[in-house]
Amino acid sequence: MLARAIPGCEGLEQTGPDEYRMKMKMALASLSGAFEGKVKITDQSPPSSFRLLVEGSSKIGFVKGEGLLKLTPSGEGTEVAYEGDAQIGGTMAAIGQRLIDGTSKMMIKKFFEKLAAESAS
Amino acid sequence: MATTIIQTEKLVGKRIRRREDPRLITGTATYVDDMQMPGMHHAAIVRSPHAAAKIRSISIKAAAEAPGVVAVFTGKDTEKVGPVPCGASLPGLRVPHHYILAIDRVYLVGHPVAVVVATDRYLARDAADLVEVDWEVLPAVADPEKAIAPGAPPVHPQWPDNVAFVYNQEGGDVDKAFAEAEVIVKQRITSQRLIPSAMETRGVLAEWRGADRQMTLYTSTQVPHLVRTLVAGMLGLEENRMRVVAPEVGGGFGSKLNIYPEEALMGFVSMKIGKPVKWIESRRENFLCTIHGRGHVDYFEVAAKKDGTILGIKLKLIQDQGAYHQLLGPAIPTLSVLMMPGLYRTKNIRAEVIGVFTNCTPTDAYRGAGRPEATHGIERMVDILADELGIDPAEIRLKNFVHNEEFPFPTATGLTYDSGDYAAPLQKAMGIVDYTKLRAEQAAARKQGKLMGIGICTYGEICGFGPSPATPAGGWECGTVRVEPSGKVTLLTGSCHHGQGEETTFAQLAADELGVDIDDILVLRGDTAIVPYGIGTFGSRATAIGGTALYYAMQDLKVKMKKFGAIMLDSHDVSYANGQVVCNKMGKSVSFKEIAAASYRAMKLPPNTEPGLVSTHFWEPPNFTFGFGAHIAVTEIDPETGQITVRRYLAVDDCGNIINPLIVDGQVHGGVAQGMGQALWEQAVYDDNGQLVTGEYTDYTMPRAHMMPWIESQHTTTPSPVNPLGVKGVGEAGTIGASPSLVNSVVDALSHLGVRHIDMPLTPEKIWKLVAGGKN
Repeated sequence: MLARAIPGCEGLEQTGPDEYRMKMKMALASLSGAFEGKVKITDQSPPSSFRLLVEGSSKIGFVKGEGLLKLTPSGEGTEVAYEGDAQIGGTMAAIGQRLIDGTSKMMIKKFFEKLAAESAS
Repeated sequence: MATTIIQTEKLVGKRIRRREDPRLITGTATYVDDMQMPGMHHAAIVRSPHAAAKIRSISIKAAAEAPGVVAVFTGKDTEKVGPVPCGASLPGLRVPHHYILAIDRVYLVGHPVAVVVATDRYLARDAADLVEVDWEVLPAVADPEKAIAPGAPPVHPQWPDNVAFVYNQEGGDVDKAFAEAEVIVKQRITSQRLIPSAMETRGVLAEWRGADRQMTLYTSTQVPHLVRTLVAGMLGLEENRMRVVAPEVGGGFGSKLNIYPEEALMGFVSMKIGKPVKWIESRRENFLCTIHGRGHVDYFEVAAKKDGTILGIKLKLIQDQGAYHQLLGPAIPTLSVLMMPGLYRTKNIRAEVIGVFTNCTPTDAYRGAGRPEATHGIERMVDILADELGIDPAEIRLKNFVHNEEFPFPTATGLTYDSGDYAAPLQKAMGIVDYTKLRAEQAAARKQGKLMGIGICTYGEICGFGPSPATPAGGWECGTVRVEPSGKVTLLTGSCHHGQGEETTFAQLAADELGVDIDDILVLRGDTAIVPYGIGTFGSRATAIGGTALYYAMQDLKVKMKKFGAIMLDSHDVSYANGQVVCNKMGKSVSFKEIAAASYRAMKLPPNTEPGLVSTHFWEPPNFTFGFGAHIAVTEIDPETGQITVRRYLAVDDCGNIINPLIVDGQVHGGVAQGMGQALWEQAVYDDNGQLVTGEYTDYTMPRAHMMPWIESQHTTTPSPVNPLGVKGVGEAGTIGASPSLVNSVVDALSHLGVRHIDMPLTPEKIWKLVAGGKN
């Protein structure tokens, strides 16, 4: 389900408890790259929160980030709040600055939309 | 033989269009990237995406097996190539070993780690992506003040304090000056990191001919002879077996006054594969891998009397050196120290320079190199002092200038200002803009709530670098004048001009000096196999030193021509005038062409007469020359948007005698554009992890033509006594004068709101916040 929800995800493979190897395609304006990286879930306190650690690199640069996801019941559904930090480097950092904010917001939005759709189905 | 003397028209002082321009503006000039060779291969360089990391391993297998790839080299292969040299020497200077390819650790984003060589440029580039490096990422530091704070990650582990050097200079009695001061003003002033952005990026083509044991290196450089000496040394090649050619060079601004890893690397690759190999720097590489400029944090203190008399200046200068020292890096802030008194008489100065390592691109000479930073500092401080004392900024400058009768003037920093009339350009500029009327207009505008500013900068510039003791590699220049048998004249100069117009100015000089048609003169430079050892073009030196070397070579040539003329006219009493040798008694003459032909034909020469007409002169200047001037910028600010409009920009420069006013104007315009770029728009920004976030022109605001105001260029003329041409230099004047005049103007526009200083660049956001907040 996660693999289908992550935009551009081309493969997610469990490598250990709460650890995954991920392949994903990402495009940033004129740049695009196939990222290979790791996803790790930590600090789990079900059902209310968990931390997601993501690390990936490609020929257009690297991404390293972590986010805390908080889930709170809200009426019929669940409200998902997130906060986090991401570091990017390489060509992406040098040339994509103006686009990163927009692109990451778009990807996060897509992720939650898909996640919602997947959970509903 | 002719008997009439032709009075030729003098060309020096005329606005002659640049002879080099047709090929430049029609795109027919030959740059490194235009060069093709049989069997030529192409290189792409694998670079670090991290600002600090250890290399656990490098896997080149996939890259080496990629289509078209003939070789892949890493730091292990190139370990024995000599380090990228630092030519600056300061007491206690820490010089990290600068390998051409990283060995086991990288220190900045863009650090080269491997080179992929292929039959095609694109195949090389694609294969470079297949090189896999296993990194162990380390913490990085990108801000010089953070780098010297306790607990900062060390850039070079052997020097945990990140201090590259500390340099102190003192003149006069600073403590006494500050003790006696009636007022002391202090300000932190930055001069931000800039990206030089030459129109042509760097490029290298190396051709090794093993059978001849000879290397030809084509490289886009300002200093071909220096490249030959140093790169031959790095490669362990005898200097006379290396030829360096700088074909057309599309701008340098100091960024090509350097020795780069890729120059030695292409030489190494060509020797390994036995084929010519070319590397052309991409624009993205240029942002990261060619030196940056400026990078100062300055803490200024000025002591003065209430009447505005400056008593002393203190400066603590923090220079962001980047991860390595390039050729002159550590020397650049010392030039700021030399220039810190500006045009003012004060004899009491104290400077402490701290050079700091950061995980960033090395900083080095960029148009003005140390002088714009110093001038920006002192000219801001003088305005701050004027504001503090309620004295007009023009008046406070006039009060403190070195007096005309004091030249040659020894400065507190150990220089000797050659000649000057420092009030003249300021008074001329004030007259042209009608300063009194402008101030009245400003007062009226303020009443209506409009923001208008008038900014003055009076600057001095160290030109004509320089006497050899003051430079790392000799400060002289060579010039050769060669008259061919047909009477055509070839000038060879060590001044490797790359856009400064010496193909025109040097030809003007020679046309006048020798009395020949300018169309008969060819100026050659940039090839170590053609031109005798030369120093190069930088530091506003080409005309003052290179031109003077040619001048003396021509004097020597005229003596030779007179000797041949005397033989031909069978007279001992001859003189040289207007391209002829004339017998003073009979009035008979022989023409330039006749003498040229006779000198090579060499019939009827008396014994021990050397045939041919070639003269070479190496000229060592006794001093720098010191250009100066006054720039006035009138600005208007839109309070709603913070947008600055430069309503008027006037530059009155004194560069000594002018050979070609059109070229001088061009230099001033270009210089002002670059200075304005720093003042208003440009800034290289790194994030906390050492990633350059302004890595492209979408994020790095270069001045464009439509952003520029009309630039008025005027002059006063104070000849230099240092050289027989009376010239000083103007290559960097515009850059030096522009940033202080513009920032002074904007601060002046906002001064009634309590604004005393604004750091560059003056982005609309910064200005809008000040206007909205009303406080600095």
